[in-house]
Amino acid sequence: MIRFQRIVQALSLSAFLLLLGVAFFPVPGWAPVDAFLRLDPLVMLGTILADRSWITAMIPAAIILALTAVLGRFFCGYLCPMGTTLDITDRLVRIPSPAVASTRLRSASGEQSSTPDDSEQERLLPPPTHPPSGLRQIKYLALFFILGAAVLGVSAVFLAAPLSLITRFYSLLIHPAAALAGDSVLHFLRPLALHLDWTQLAYAEIHLPRFTTQWFLLIFFLAVFALVRWSPRFWCRYCCPSGALLALVGRRPLFRRHVSKACTGCGACQHRCPMAAIPANPLQTAHEECIVCQKCVRICPVRAVSFQPLVQPGTMPVRFSPNRRATLLAGLAGAGTATLTYTGLLEVRGEMLPGNITPEELIRPPGSLPERQFLARCIRCGLCMRSCPTNTLQPIWFQAGVIAMFSPQLTPRRGPCEPECTVCGQVCPTGAIRFLPHSEKIWAKVGTATIHRHRCLAWEWNKKCLVCDEVCPYDAIDLQRVTTHNQPVPFVDGNKCSGCGFCEYHCPARPGSAIVVNSTEALRISDGSYKELGQSMGLSLQLSPGEYPVYGPQNQHLWEPLPDDSVSRDNDNVRDNVPNGLPNGASGTDTPPPGFTP
Amino acid sequence: MFQKPSTTALNCLSDSTRISRRSLLKAQSKAALVFAAASSGLFRVSPLLADQSFPDGPDLSIARGGPGPATRAAVEALGGMTAFVRPGQRVVIKPNMSFAHPPERATNTHPDVVRELAVMCTEAGAARVRILDHPLQSAEMCLVQSGIQQACAGLPDVSVHTMSAARFFREVVIPQGEQLRQTQVMEDVLAADVLIAAPVAKSHSATGVSLAMKGMLGLILDRGILHRRFDLHTAIVDLTTLLMPDLTVVDATRVLSTNGPFGPGKVLQEDTVIASRDVVAADAMTVRMFEWYGRRIAPRQVRHILLAHDRGLGTMDLSGLQVAETTA
Repeated sequence: MIRFQRIVQALSLSAFLLLLGVAFFPVPGWAPVDAFLRLDPLVMLGTILADRSWITAMIPAAIILALTAVLGRFFCGYLCPMGTTLDITDRLVRIPSPAVASTRLRSASGEQSSTPDDSEQERLLPPPTHPPSGLRQIKYLALFFILGAAVLGVSAVFLAAPLSLITRFYSLLIHPAAALAGDSVLHFLRPLALHLDWTQLAYAEIHLPRFTTQWFLLIFFLAVFALVRWSPRFWCRYCCPSGALLALVGRRPLFRRHVSKACTGCGACQHRCPMAAIPANPLQTAHEECIVCQKCVRICPVRAVSFQPLVQPGTMPVRFSPNRRATLLAGLAGAGTATLTYTGLLEVRGEMLPGNITPEELIRPPGSLPERQFLARCIRCGLCMRSCPTNTLQPIWFQAGVIAMFSPQLTPRRGPCEPECTVCGQVCPTGAIRFLPHSEKIWAKVGTATIHRHRCLAWEWNKKCLVCDEVCPYDAIDLQRVTTHNQPVPFVDGNKCSGCGFCEYHCPARPGSAIVVNSTEALRISDGSYKELGQSMGLSLQLSPGEYPVYGPQNQHLWEPLPDDSVSRDNDNVRDNVPNGLPNGASGTDTPPPGFTP
Repeated sequence: MFQKPSTTALNCLSDSTRISRRSLLKAQSKAALVFAAASSGLFRVSPLLADQSFPDGPDLSIARGGPGPATRAAVEALGGMTAFVRPGQRVVIKPNMSFAHPPERATNTHPDVVRELAVMCTEAGAARVRILDHPLQSAEMCLVQSGIQQACAGLPDVSVHTMSAARFFREVVIPQGEQLRQTQVMEDVLAADVLIAAPVAKSHSATGVSLAMKGMLGLILDRGILHRRFDLHTAIVDLTTLLMPDLTVVDATRVLSTNGPFGPGKVLQEDTVIASRDVVAADAMTVRMFEWYGRRIAPRQVRHILLAHDRGLGTMDLSGLQVAETTA
């Protein structure tokens, strides 16, 4: 029989993955793709503390915290996609120990196998040390470290918040690999699809994202998965700061494990509890460790264990108090880290003052809050990068300091920022990127393009290339004639440039682009209208003139050959016979329009 | 794929015929201007050339009217689609649908022009019609906003696709290439029996105009190299030697007269469709017929038209063409 917990876990992980799957431009309005991230209590507490502002979007996490006070850490056992993923990988990674092998041998030879649920045949775990053991402290220390940093306005939530980690794992590591595999399958099936005239399949293209930092993510997660060699759900037991926060709230849940007098003290539950929440005396329970999976209920040979909404005098919770000194130190370490951030040279300051170093290629997504606030809110979940249709959003390494690691930046050479798209703000769970309506988004200038003339095919090599002008959605490239060149060359009109990077993406100069967007004059405001700000600054960020004036037919005369239509090229003097009285482009008295020759 | 247009028909017409036709046209055009001013565009020139019967068929046709009807009329004047597409053949139509813009911006081919061409191909018995481009903006948005996908939805054996993944392209040698000697072309184009160029008439900052020949860049994978390594115009002509359209239909129902290819620019409502077997002639006629940046431009001022003419891929000598004019 499939257990209730497994069903809920499967549904929860499926929902998580489904939401991640639809988190791609255009994100359907019905899909709350950031829902799971908003359930993470550490994301809530850490972000609210670091940004020092109330974030309404985080209410679901508050509800989880409140429910935990009643139900215990059900979130960990049932809802958390990280926990479920670890349950899956635990099964895959675990190498059968001699104990399991001998158990299997015994059951195979039919000697004896008396547990009620045969599927629970697993390795006998080593007897748990009495909580709190030293290892269990880690998660509390991580929690207080993060909170300590958050108090000083620096968010380290991304280091260990499980929803941030697992979203990053699936978005930046699993999804690109899955997409590549899917694309290979499509390629493999194409001849068949063409043969059967399934055109949609034959021409289907899968978006193939590529990301930086993948090796780090891979090694990190392999390490987390490998920890099962020491214990199941090692991460949840010992490391997870969100679990620690839930543990603090769920120390005395109303709905709790209860052991009746029938208990024979056989210790089966003790050995098989995935969280090692049952101490030496199996009548007792470390409720703050219990994730309500109810395995103990199922495996008890005498059915002495149940979960009840009762407080039984005989089962007083194991008292736990995180070691005060260690906790204090962890908080101080967090605060110290925050201080290091402020004294680090690479920390990006909002003010463009002399002495402040800003990496010029650090282009934040459109609608990103002012940098300090942005980093306080950004939990590096990677959802914006997952949903970005052009793959321009990439996690950064250390160029803006360690604490900015994994935060998103535009990489125009990889892809332009699509003016019609607003998904990065739509999916951001914490509002680090504002969700802007389209009319605002096109004014959310992320930077300015600059032409590197020494690389430019038109400027340096006198080639007929104005690709930047061809593709600029904002009409920000001015073509001008200069005396040194015999054809027009490009200039950027900074007031029209939004920094979208279509020019940099399409620039045919290789390998480096001859037109490069940097964060110059990016608009970063935490509230108010980008459009109003931009207009007050004299910007003119328009995708189209709004209306399209239609000019009447210029050509209602019929086609008639003119003397100059014959191919002789020496008859430029035959110019009087010009229909419509239009000036003749070939008259030689003035320069021809862009692209034409005299 | 290419057939040199006949100029012998020209000689059949006596000088007097030509002169009288021309003077008649002049009178007509003056009247037309006056009339157009009065009736603000409602005016239509009726087909007035008494004798439009060309012994070998016209080299080029000009049709006026709405996008769909004018397209049909222009192709009919060349002998109908059956002259180009035989039953069971595979057709590729290359429109402009590179930009996520609505038709009124004149950066993409009008959806009704594309649709009409596709319908005529299936009427002629085409086994399948593929409408293909390699877009510069998000493929999905181009398909939707250009209106082309919707216009062609539901047409049997017709489908509209954008391609950008390298796996859809195949490396081919361009034997007649002077500079561009090889490139990666969409496999479907290489496998097609008939290639129809259906560009919109628009200006282009680097190449003057972007018409049928320039439009063929939308069928290859790496167009950047044409800008970077080669002389762009020469490379366009090189590519034309490989991807020579069997039929060129220029959508000049709206002409992006300035600030192309992306615009926004001055859009002229011209209600004209130009069709020819000769890609160079069609491009040249389009250049010649309309206003570009407020001026009249001669075809030879577009360097790739001049080069294509010089290399014998077609003619830009419009005075030698048999031109059929109709109103749809």
